[in-house]
Amino acid sequence: MTKRIPLIAREQKRMYTIFIAVALVLFIATSFYTNFNIMTLAQNSDAFWAFITKDFFPPALPKASRIPGVLSSVVVTLALAMSSTTIAAVLAFFVSLFASEKISPFPKLAKYVRGFATFLRNIPALVWAFILFSSLGIGTGVGFVALLITSFAFMVRAFVETIEDVSQDCVESLQAVGAGFWQRVWQAILPSCLNGFLSWFLYCIEVNIRASTIVGMVGGGGVGLTLFSYIKGFQYDIAFSIILLIAAMVIVVDRITGKLRKEILK
Amino acid sequence: MTDESVIPSTVRNNSAEKASNKIPVGCKDKNTFVPRFLTGVVVLTVLSLIYLNIDWLKLLSRVPDVGVVFWDLAHFDFSDMDIIFSSMLETVSIAVLSLLYSLILGIAFGMIAARNIFKITWLSVLTQSFFTFLRAVPTPVWVLLMLVCLGMGSEAGVAGLCVHTTAFFTKSFAQSFESISDETMEALEVTGTSRLSIFINAVLPAAFSQIVAWTGMRLETNFSECAILGMVGAGGIGYVISRNLQNYNYGSAGIAILLVFIVAYVIERLFVHIKKKI
Amino acid sequence: MDKILKFENVSKHYPNGVHALKNVSFEVNEGEFVSIIGPSGSGKSTILRSINKLIPISDGNITLDGLLVSQQKGKELRKLRRKVGMIFQNYNLVYSLSVLQNVLHGRLGYMDGLKGIFGLYSEEDKKEAINLLNELGMEQFCYNRASDLSGGQKQRVGIARAIMQNPKLLLCDEPIASLDPSSAKTIMDLLRDMTRKRNIACIVNLHQLDVAIKYSTRIIGLSKGEVVFDGPPEKLTDDVIERIYNTSRENLMIGGAGNDKKDSADCA
Repeated sequence: MTKRIPLIAREQKRMYTIFIAVALVLFIATSFYTNFNIMTLAQNSDAFWAFITKDFFPPALPKASRIPGVLSSVVVTLALAMSSTTIAAVLAFFVSLFASEKISPFPKLAKYVRGFATFLRNIPALVWAFILFSSLGIGTGVGFVALLITSFAFMVRAFVETIEDVSQDCVESLQAVGAGFWQRVWQAILPSCLNGFLSWFLYCIEVNIRASTIVGMVGGGGVGLTLFSYIKGFQYDIAFSIILLIAAMVIVVDRITGKLRKEILK
Repeated sequence: MTDESVIPSTVRNNSAEKASNKIPVGCKDKNTFVPRFLTGVVVLTVLSLIYLNIDWLKLLSRVPDVGVVFWDLAHFDFSDMDIIFSSMLETVSIAVLSLLYSLILGIAFGMIAARNIFKITWLSVLTQSFFTFLRAVPTPVWVLLMLVCLGMGSEAGVAGLCVHTTAFFTKSFAQSFESISDETMEALEVTGTSRLSIFINAVLPAAFSQIVAWTGMRLETNFSECAILGMVGAGGIGYVISRNLQNYNYGSAGIAILLVFIVAYVIERLFVHIKKKI
Repeated sequence: MDKILKFENVSKHYPNGVHALKNVSFEVNEGEFVSIIGPSGSGKSTILRSINKLIPISDGNITLDGLLVSQQKGKELRKLRRKVGMIFQNYNLVYSLSVLQNVLHGRLGYMDGLKGIFGLYSEEDKKEAINLLNELGMEQFCYNRASDLSGGQKQRVGIARAIMQNPKLLLCDEPIASLDPSSAKTIMDLLRDMTRKRNIACIVNLHQLDVAIKYSTRIIGLSKGEVVFDGPPEKLTDDVIERIYNTSRENLMIGGAGNDKKDSADCA
């Protein structure tokens, strides 16, 4: 046996090996389980390609009479994302104050508050939407509540992390001064964490624009529903232009939030 | 540090006192952007709520129904466990497989999209804008399209998830690749190494830990995306949940939802654990 | 002289099993300047934070100005805390607010309701705060953000905030550990002068032995949670120092100087 001279540190090599081995095992197992074979997909690629070029291209506009409706559905999606995120942020702010042992006036409850938020967060928005549809019926209001739940839970986690990162020292000093809980919140936590909160809020808007499109698809209204109905009606060329519209909407919002975030963190 | 601190505070003090006789307490170079931003948010939110015209009373009157549904969901029905488990496994498999394919594709496209590897600017810009478009469209839309193209089944799920995941990886990996200093690249270039070889031997190892971090983060997203795919028509746990809910089969749906939560939670914890180690 | 503070057999166990204080007893009188010295982990910070109940103690009694600290809750605790000013190693200011606002935070313990929450301070308080900043040589920075100041300036704001409380006792948790030597001297001089002028008792945690000897009227030596020395600086002999730090005085001076450099480097 000849020993080769190692080029990289042993731990690093072990990490690479583990990573690649795990990836390979997972690849084989999951390919087997899902029956997904890239070769069969490649064999069918002609039909696939023909489908795309024939049915989707060129993108077509919907009937002129329908255009205002489509545009207003975009506004519904935007409004849904905007309002649900804002209200979720306000709720999350108050709840997050009680979700951190270091800040909360009831430290023993903090764990349960966080656990509750974790539960809400780890169930996808669409599942919430479905649960709510089955009890509240289909409509924009339900889409609103479904988005509210997940973004609320997400922001509780993010806000707690921000609070614990940023304001522990100054909260301690205000405690020593004899300041009460709400004084500490308004005079120390809010001024030092506001910019962090707003940055997370903007991130949540970005996420919710996409989520509100999806919730719309299953019955929450908005541009998602419009797209879904065109696809169901086999009008793929029109559906394609709606997809372009969605993409444009998302990109524009991302650009705006990016600019705002830079301005806030300046 | 701001340069505006040259304004003598006494001047500002006097002018403010003239106005109101009160001593001001705030900073002199206040960030006026945040209050304006907050006002804007409030105005937009109010306008949105007015535009949405949600019937709150009707919604509130039905709140007790929500309680009933949750009560029903909590009454677990274990009769369909085998279907629930196998569809859960299918969902996880779709999530992982699409992640692996996208990982390879993402590295390849990320290499092209990074401006410092091949230094063909137009190609990088073209790749980046194409993937920006793909990323802007939510995953379920892609899955829906793939369902139309490929028919029902997990193929559509894998392919649809791949579109969005690849787009995400391409952007993040390109960012990681571009963060490698030009000096390092130059040092290798002058030895006459080919660009591909530089990429494999220098750039990729340097970005490795970031790639792992992005992958872990994406696994979380992919799983929750995958869990909802069923609801728009692809297979997996989402299909089980939506069908059971529609058939008022709340016991089974409750178990499936709980299972989604548990798996998502385990993935999240696992990722936090791995992130600490790296 | 009146007694301000009394520790009687105070012990503290942390939930993780650390036994931070063991049967600590001492008294502090009005106008005294007491330094607590001891190696890291000897319980210096725990002593200070137990006085205003930032950390609750496990056993024993702490009496502050005639009141039993462990019995104070809610409003009474706030009243008690405002009698005790505190200065921190990391200044603990709210960096996004102005210097004046940070100083006025010292008044929050006296304010109730919405006025306190939204920081609507009275004009007298504001004037007093500005006078205090004048005294500390900080008047030109009143309206700067606290984040724009240097370390020494931040600590002066910290002192002003503590004095704003009209305290009877001032607690300083390693006030100069993050400062360069010249700012450290300014801060210690200010602490001594301001507390002497206002007849405030002062307890300072210190790492620097020479500083402790120079400024204090009394020194308390801590080792592993126990008081091993309590007396005037003159009585702090070499073998006492060795008992506190488990190492000779010479090692300590060199080590101390090295620590100073490291601290100021961290700060930069």
